[in-house]
Amino acid sequence: MDFFLQQLLNAVSLGGIYALLALGLAVVFSIVALINFAHGELMTVAGYVLFVCILYAVPLPIAVVAAIAAAAVAAAATERLAFRPMRRADPTSLMLTSFAVSAILKVLFQNGISARPKPVPLPPDLSGTLTFGPVRLGTVPLASILVTCLSLFALTLFLKRTVMGKAMRAAAEDFQVLRLMGIRANRVIAAAFALSGMLAGISAALWVAQRGSVDPLMGFVPVLKAFVASVIGGLGSLSGAVAGGFALGIAEVLFQAYLPDAALPFRDAFVLGFVVLLLLWRPDGLIPARTGRRS
Amino acid sequence: MTRTRRMLTLCTAMALCGWAAVGAAGAEEVTIGLATGQTGGLAPFDQPSLAGFRMAMDEINARGGLGGTYMVTLDIKDTRSDTGATVQAAQELVAAGVKFLITPCDADPSIAAGQISQAAQIPTMTFCGTTPTITDAVGDYMFGSYPADNGQATLLAQHAIAKGYKSAYILKSPDSAYTLRLPEYFAEVFQKLGGTVAGEGSYSLGQQDFAAEVTKIAALDPQPDVIMTAAYEPDFPAFLKALRGAGVTAPILGSDGIDSPTTTGLGDIANGIVHTTAGFPTDGSPLGEFYAKYEAVTGAAPETVYVATGYEIPYILDAAVTAAGTMDGPALRDALANLENVPVLTGSVTYKGTNRMPLRAITLVEIQGGARVPVETATPDPALVPAP
Repeated sequence: MDFFLQQLLNAVSLGGIYALLALGLAVVFSIVALINFAHGELMTVAGYVLFVCILYAVPLPIAVVAAIAAAAVAAAATERLAFRPMRRADPTSLMLTSFAVSAILKVLFQNGISARPKPVPLPPDLSGTLTFGPVRLGTVPLASILVTCLSLFALTLFLKRTVMGKAMRAAAEDFQVLRLMGIRANRVIAAAFALSGMLAGISAALWVAQRGSVDPLMGFVPVLKAFVASVIGGLGSLSGAVAGGFALGIAEVLFQAYLPDAALPFRDAFVLGFVVLLLLWRPDGLIPARTGRRS
Repeated sequence: MTRTRRMLTLCTAMALCGWAAVGAAGAEEVTIGLATGQTGGLAPFDQPSLAGFRMAMDEINARGGLGGTYMVTLDIKDTRSDTGATVQAAQELVAAGVKFLITPCDADPSIAAGQISQAAQIPTMTFCGTTPTITDAVGDYMFGSYPADNGQATLLAQHAIAKGYKSAYILKSPDSAYTLRLPEYFAEVFQKLGGTVAGEGSYSLGQQDFAAEVTKIAALDPQPDVIMTAAYEPDFPAFLKALRGAGVTAPILGSDGIDSPTTTGLGDIANGIVHTTAGFPTDGSPLGEFYAKYEAVTGAAPETVYVATGYEIPYILDAAVTAAGTMDGPALRDALANLENVPVLTGSVTYKGTNRMPLRAITLVEIQGGARVPVETATPDPALVPAP
C-alpha cells in the first residue's frame, strides 16, 4: 500500500510537469493552429538564463523570474520573426516553420554557447526530502506539484477575469468574429506566445532542477511529451492539455512501477500503446476543444 | 592565332602542374577525411574531439608531417549526427581519395561509414566510440581509440570487489549499446569475481524521471551494497537526486559518461561516486601539461577529456605511418594493428593482440567535495575483460 501511495505521488508530480508543458503548446495551438515544436528551445533559453544567473550568484528567486521572463521574450520574438510572416499559411507549413526555428536555435546554442552540457548547481536545500507518514517526497517533486497547481489557478484567473484572457478564449473559438469585434489580432497572438513562453520558463525551471544541467538539445524530450499529452487531452483544449499531461505522467510511472522486469525495457511501447487505446476510445482527445479544430 | 595562344596557355599550365608535382615530391600531400557530428546529438563528443585532433595535426604538419613525409590537409564534413549523412560524407571522402578516415563517437554511424572505407581499403578510426563490437562489425580496417566499454566495466568490477561489495544493483537502458552493455559487462565480471547481482532496473534515455525506479530500489530488502550504472547526463543527475531523495544510501559506480562538470556541481549528494574516465590531469603529468597548453592556445581549459583523446589520434597515426613508411591502405592497417605501447597523453596505447579496440589505461576517480580525486589508473587485465 505504501509502495502504491508513493508511486501515486510520483505519478502526480510527473503528471504536473507534463501538464504545464502541454498547456504551453495548447495555448498557442488553440489560437493559431500551430503546434510549436520550438517550445522545447524556449525551455532551453530559460535554462541558459538560469545557468548564467547561478554562475554570477544571483539569488535563486530572481534567477527563476529572469529565466521565465527570458522564455516569454524569446517566444514573442519567434512569433514576430518567424510565425507572423507565415500567418496565412496552412497548419503544415506553420509546423514546418516551428521545426526550422527549433533547428536554428539548437545549432545557435551548440556553436554559440557550447555543445557540452552546462552545470546548473542548485542550492543543496533543494535536494532535501520531506516525509509524510509512509511516503517521502523530494523538494523538487513537491515544488512541481505546488507550482503546477499555482500556475493552473493563475492561468484560469487570467483567462476568465482579464480582457486579454477573455479575448484569447474568444480567439480560440472563432478568430474572425473576434477581429470583427475590434480586437487587434497581433496583440492577442503575441500575448498567447508570451504566455506560452512563460509556461515554458516555469516548466524549464522544474525540468532543470531535476537534471542539474542545461544543454542545447534539452528541449526535445519535453516537447515530445507535451505533444503526446496535448493530443491525448484534445489538441487546442486547455483543460484537455492538463488532463492529457496527468494521464501521460500517471501511465508512465505506473507502467514503470508495475511491469514485470522482463517487460520493463518496453515500457515506452506500453505507454504509447495505452495512448493509442485512449485515442481509439476518444479520437478527439479526453476533453476536445470546443471548435473541434484539429491539425 | 587564338587557337595557338590557347594551346600555349594549356601547355604552360600543364608544365607548371608537372613542375609543382615534382617540387612537392619531398613532402607528399595527403588528405585525411573526417565525417563527424559537429552539430546534433553527437556534437558534445565530436566537437571537442575535433578541436584536439586539429591542434595535434597542426603540430605534426609544422614539424614536417606524418612520419616526417606526409603533409596533411583535413577534409572536414559535418554529418549533423545523422547516420545516413555520415554514410554519404564517408562516400564523398573515399571518392575524393582520403588516406585515413575519422568517424563519429558512436557505434551506428561508425559501423555504417566503416563499411565504405573497409571496401576501399582505407584505415578508419572512430573518434571516441566505446562499443567494443565496432571494429569486428566492420573489418580489419576499422580501429577504435578510446577505452572500450568492456575494459571500463572490468576496472569498475575489480574496484567493487576490492571495496568488499558483495551484491550490486545495475541500472541500464536498452536505448543505446553504451547504457545497456556496459552494466552487463560489469555484472559479468563482478559475478566472475564472486559478487552477486541483487537486481536490475531499466530507464529510457533523456526522460529523467526516476521516481518510480528509485521507489523500487528503496523497497529492496536487503539493500544492495553498490549500485552501478552507465547513465549519463541528463539521466544520471536526475537518478542520483531521486535515489538519495528516496533514502537509498548505497554507493554508486559510474562510467566515463559522467566525467562532466554537472556531476561535480551536484553538491554533497555526489560525494563518494566512483567513475571511470579516459584520463585525469594532474600537475606535471602529460595530460596536465596538455590542458595547460590547450588553455594557453585557445584561452579556455578543455571542457572534457575528449579534447585530449582527440589530440592523441594524430600521434597514434604518426607512429603507424613512421613504422609503415607509407600511407597506403594495407601497409598502414598492418602498422596500426601492430602498434605497441605508443606513448599518449593518458598513458600508452597498444593495438597488437587486440581486436583493434586499443588496450590502454583507464583512470578511476572519486568525487569528493565538488572535485575529482584520482583513485587509481590501471590497464584492465585482458584475461578478465569480457568478450564483446
